[in-house]
Amino acid sequence: MDCSGVRALMNRYIDGELGYLETAEFQRHLAFCPDCSLEFRELSALRGTLAAWGDVPLAPPAGFANRVMTAVATEPLPGSPRPLADVVGDVLEWLDQALGRVRLPGGRTMPVKNLLGWAIALVAVVIGFGRRRGQDQAKTRVSRAAGAARR
Amino acid sequence: MASSNWEKWRLPADPSPADLARAAAGERQAFRMIVERYQHMVYSVAYNVLGNHADAEDAAQDAFLRCYRSLPQYRSEASFSTWLFRLALTAAIDAQRRERRRPEPVDVPEVAGEAAALAPGIDAATIARALADLPEDYRTPTVLRDVYGLPYHEIAELTGRPLGTVKVMVHRGRAALRLRLRAEREA
Repeated sequence: MDCSGVRALMNRYIDGELGYLETAEFQRHLAFCPDCSLEFRELSALRGTLAAWGDVPLAPPAGFANRVMTAVATEPLPGSPRPLADVVGDVLEWLDQALGRVRLPGGRTMPVKNLLGWAIALVAVVIGFGRRRGQDQAKTRVSRAAGAARR
Repeated sequence: MASSNWEKWRLPADPSPADLARAAAGERQAFRMIVERYQHMVYSVAYNVLGNHADAEDAAQDAFLRCYRSLPQYRSEASFSTWLFRLALTAAIDAQRRERRRPEPVDVPEVAGEAAALAPGIDAATIARALADLPEDYRTPTVLRDVYGLPYHEIAELTGRPLGTVKVMVHRGRAALRLRLRAEREA
């Protein structure tokens, strides 16, 4: 196994994903390659540092607990039925996350659910326009027929 | 295989069943005790996922509101801190999906209590900056994997990304952090 092969396997070794043979070859290479050995030691040390960072408690901004309690004061009692507006808001948010966003010119993006909303509104307008036109045409036919009968 | 770091977190003991029942019944003082006891954990998780104070505070508050609403559904099969950790993680990941804000470049958090050096030449501010400067796509999977020790399949599930993509993001995140910390040590 050469250096590029060992570097390709380094993360899988660290994650315990290599089989026995690959592990043995990997370790044999590290024993005589100072460059790969250094990279491996740095990566292992990094993981130790990140795990230690996970134990460090970070302080929230001053007054955080009070702000949470102010927000809690506006909530209904736990377990009580949620207001319809909140449920609709959650559904829209879920749709937003499930459908994602489309890119627009100028680097802006728009939620796909908004596009769907516009499309549904457009279809509703077209259907409404078509029905109105149909009703107008029917009225015209009826009045023509009545005129013809009078004559 | 990495251990789940959050399971061994030095946390205060879980609230008593009586305190949890009072909070679930809507007693504000009982819920305040939960907020005060767990605010560091919840805020740390949110900060590590989001990389800046403003988003982390919003997500941490959202996590506590979710906790308040769902308290009647909490069952003691999992410890309360594990359950709350999950809520914090989900709130932070949801906030990230929603906001897509760039973290401030020098938004170093204040460490609660005493913080020993994490490694030779690496202090809390260095690691916080290095993580915050990672591209968002790398930071979240790397934090979930190496800071909190979550298995890859859970990270894929939480972030809604394919397993292979998650692994690649973690490997790239580690590579970027390794070079960054090497440069910090040599500086």
